[in-house]
Amino acid sequence: MLHYLLKRLAAIVPTIFFVTIIIFGLQQLLPGDPAVILAGEDQDPNVIAYLQKKMHLDEPLPVRYGYWIAGVVHGDLGESLRIQQPVLGLIEEKLPVTLELAVIAMLIALVIGIPAGIVSAVGKDTVWDYAANVIALWGLSTPNFWLGILMILLFSVSLGWLPASGYVSPFEDLQANLAAMIMPAFVLGNAIAAVLMRHTRSAMLQVLNADYVRTARAKGLDERSVVLKHALRNALTPIITLGALEFGTLLSGAVLTEQVFSIPGFGKLIVDAVFNRDYAVVQGVVLFTSSVYIVLNLLADLAYFLVNPRLRG
Amino acid sequence: MTALLEVSGLRTSFKLESGGEFAAVDGISFSVEAGRTLGIVGESGCGKSVTSLSIMGLLPKGQGRIAAGSIRFEGRDLATLTPAEMRALRGNRMAMIFQEPMTSLNPAFTIGDQLIEGIRCHRDLSHADARAHAIEMLRRVRIPSPERRIDEYPHKLSGGMRQRVMIAMALSCEPRLLIADEPTTALDVTIQAQVLDLMRTLREETGTAIILITHDLGVIAELADEVVVMYSGLIVERANVERLFALPQHPYTIGLLGSIPQLHLVQDRLNAIEGQVPTPMTEIQGCRFAPRCPFAADRCLQAAPPLVDLGDGHSAACWRAPLEADAEIELVA
Ligand SMILES: Nc1ncnc2c1ncn2[C@@H]1O[C@H](COP(=O)(O)OP(=O)(O)OP(=O)(O)O)[C@@H](O)[C@H]1O
Ligand code: SF4
Ligand SMILES: [Mg+2]
Repeated sequence: MLHYLLKRLAAIVPTIFFVTIIIFGLQQLLPGDPAVILAGEDQDPNVIAYLQKKMHLDEPLPVRYGYWIAGVVHGDLGESLRIQQPVLGLIEEKLPVTLELAVIAMLIALVIGIPAGIVSAVGKDTVWDYAANVIALWGLSTPNFWLGILMILLFSVSLGWLPASGYVSPFEDLQANLAAMIMPAFVLGNAIAAVLMRHTRSAMLQVLNADYVRTARAKGLDERSVVLKHALRNALTPIITLGALEFGTLLSGAVLTEQVFSIPGFGKLIVDAVFNRDYAVVQGVVLFTSSVYIVLNLLADLAYFLVNPRLRG
Repeated sequence: MTALLEVSGLRTSFKLESGGEFAAVDGISFSVEAGRTLGIVGESGCGKSVTSLSIMGLLPKGQGRIAAGSIRFEGRDLATLTPAEMRALRGNRMAMIFQEPMTSLNPAFTIGDQLIEGIRCHRDLSHADARAHAIEMLRRVRIPSPERRIDEYPHKLSGGMRQRVMIAMALSCEPRLLIADEPTTALDVTIQAQVLDLMRTLREETGTAIILITHDLGVIAELADEVVVMYSGLIVERANVERLFALPQHPYTIGLLGSIPQLHLVQDRLNAIEGQVPTPMTEIQGCRFAPRCPFAADRCLQAAPPLVDLGDGHSAACWRAPLEADAEIELVA
């Protein structure tokens, strides 16, 4: 089994290499010459030529790719031409924001999704089950930006309880920070809760019919231990993987939700960079978030392996 | 003296997809005296497992229910017990070993966890004491080096070893009644013999009453005191073991016996009788065995034969019972 994990670990390098090719390739599809866009209104040919040279736009694609990769390998993601800052610095600046949002959203998703899934599986075909399913369907089918706007209308505009937007660092004012984070986190968490609920429900339904659950009942255990220990422990494995993947998605930045609530995280960083043809930023951020995603995937496998004694050998 | 377990008129129904219900067990009665072994035989699907799950209160919720009849255990009607009272009996006064040793243990916990949990559920023991008891139980079911094995996960054990663990688990609180639902069917022949041997020894040591379910008459011959023969959700014959083997009265039983060459040989399946068991879902007016019965007469198709006492604790549900001796020979030959 250790062997398998080492193999997975070794596979990370080629995977990320492949990702860099895709990122770089897709980037070329963006219309417009970044040098022209950066040069501003005057369109001075000298400036454009200078920028093209600086960005190696005058060289063939593989060479440009080579320049980028050489930098990446040395831990240099390049520099944002627009704001004249190293990309790594920008990532460091935005990461805590996105991370905080992702963690709170994930907590909300777990706290709602897993218990709801358990309840609806245990009470299959009861009102609880129907209620949980209806709410999950609602959570799945509600667009995040729309829910975000509705929440702003209700809690900020009508009730005036929460700020509509504006991010405050938690180190400055934790309460203001949480007040600004709670709505976007709920919007993101709500959608994931629905997915988690559906998966928890079906995993639990399967496991509740297992022979070993009947054995647990035959021992005289109460329903609580039967469900929360014997069944849940086995149902949890696929849910861990799903949760890790959802968390990875959250970490790559919630473009629309960050936009609606003006949260300065990865989502906003990428959108701005794409509009400005800030190649280095787009490439750097996407590479970073994809790598995080890949690593989380590996961690999910590791967790899967830890809760699954059969795999431990 | 009242029996340890008294099942009377038990009918257990399952929901049909189409909305109705069908009786998988259709009004059966039997009793088990303390310390005795009752064998239940019958082909696949005749309702053996459903009977045992009904007794244990383990019918799958929302699918199956006890529709009629009563089950009395140690003098108490189980239907009147609260869920908590039922839990206090289960795994404690009555325990069960299942048909599927490979899947009956939880793959996520060590066998020690699973044994200790059951023990502590019913006995006020410290974790260490419960563990010591669990090791002792594993030793009693002849699991080698139990001190080490107790910390292993089920997937490390063979089917035979897992069934031993299940037996250890079932016996760990010294139940008065052990229901063994085809404890050996899923195992290799040599392992089967070992497990049966073990059950016999443990029965002598503990004095536990056993309901031994099987479709193997060889197993019945070796272990049972009384025998109930089930067919399609009904009891068709009931007798003590010697009588049943010497003077079987129901054509179905005779067919079963005809299909084992020597009684003491363990043999896996009874398939010598032609035809198939009608599923309990099919509505049959007369005798359910009639389509396969060489003696079937008009009367058999018109009304179902009741289970009639033939004396000496022997009863059979057949219009032709008691059979004449020549009829028997004709069939066995
Ligand atoms: N959960 C269930 N839902 C619907 N029908 C069921 C269910 N469990 C059992 N049955 C039906 O009840 C009947 C009796 O099944 P049971 O499991 O008691 O047979 P059995 O005698 O134990 O057979 P085997 O020797 O194969 O174990 C079968 O027709 C089966 O289809
Ligand atoms: S009642 Fe008739 S059909 Fe049924 S077993 Fe007896 S002889 Fe056969
Ligand atoms: Mg069965």
